[in-house]
Amino acid sequence: MLLNSVIFILREVLEASLIISVLLALSQNQGLSKGWLKPAVLLGLTLAGVYASQLINISAYFEGVGQEVINAGLHILIYGFILLIIVLLKYPSTKQSVIFFMTGCVIAASIREGSEVIIYLTGFMSAPDLFPSVVMGSIIGSGIGISIGVLFYYLIAYVRFELGMLLGLGLLVLIGGGMVSQTIQLLTQADFISSQSALWDSSFIVDERSLFGQLLYALIGYESTPSFVQVVCYVVSVLLAAFSTLSTFTSLRVRENA
Amino acid sequence: MVMGRLLILSVLFMFNSFAAGATPIVELEIKDHLFYPAELVIPIDTKVKVKISNNDPTAEEFESYELNREKMIPGNSQAIIFIGPLKAGVYPFFGEFFPKTAQGKVVVK
Repeated sequence: MLLNSVIFILREVLEASLIISVLLALSQNQGLSKGWLKPAVLLGLTLAGVYASQLINISAYFEGVGQEVINAGLHILIYGFILLIIVLLKYPSTKQSVIFFMTGCVIAASIREGSEVIIYLTGFMSAPDLFPSVVMGSIIGSGIGISIGVLFYYLIAYVRFELGMLLGLGLLVLIGGGMVSQTIQLLTQADFISSQSALWDSSFIVDERSLFGQLLYALIGYESTPSFVQVVCYVVSVLLAAFSTLSTFTSLRVRENA
Repeated sequence: MVMGRLLILSVLFMFNSFAAGATPIVELEIKDHLFYPAELVIPIDTKVKVKISNNDPTAEEFESYELNREKMIPGNSQAIIFIGPLKAGVYPFFGEFFPKTAQGKVVVK
């Protein structure tokens, strides 16, 4: 049970931890205040608690696929916020808006991942013999997930300005693509999008179940058996964010060197 | 241009499902961290609505890498997951919270 808990919690924490660390590192890189983080995580986790407590009712919406619809909404919201952050970073007068959308991103990510952790932990409260090992596994899993996030934070925040910005924005683009890919998967599961056979199977190269596969999933939305619609939407969303990044990066570099 | 065509094609694919007819329903139960039945047999190239009843007090997450499905099911509640149309084959699934016992497979034939 300990190992199961480590793996489950690590998966959930890693996704949120990467989004948070990249946004926090970009704040540092751009000289923005980082005071937004604490209230964003606290509000996100509070809303995650509300979501978790109402999950049975929410699941019943839309003829039994309410959970998929809400989660897809959260993912697409994160992508939208990421796109706005990239575009707005270009202008010196929109720092407050950038902070606003970073806050929104972290709130949405905390609701999505936090609610699953809360459901997992509260579910095991009714199994007192398993609960201690679940808690221990969760602490270890969170520790690993947060540590990987911290590593990425230092990687982006404390390298040369241009490199840090490129790394941070590049990772945001890929995380955003992953969010769109997950949205498509959820809407397919809910039967809003027709299910299709996989376009390819790359599980023999990187297995989604492996730690590296999980890291790639959180970082770039890696999927070993994606559908055609998923691939098209991923590519379009990554290209859109990448073009915006290029434009922002060019104007920020010009301003920095001026 | 190519991207535009791909987009139109994918949008067509997306809304194709609204035109589909009645979807067969299969039922799956979670009890004592086991799936009943552990083997779901469904026809080839057919979309199926799976109604899962979690009769345990603990939550479970239905997960299948082969089916690309993942859904949280709180204790003593029900959930719906659509699967297929699928090619003939065996598609394993498991309960992520109790993966040692909660295992099953979808057999498509």
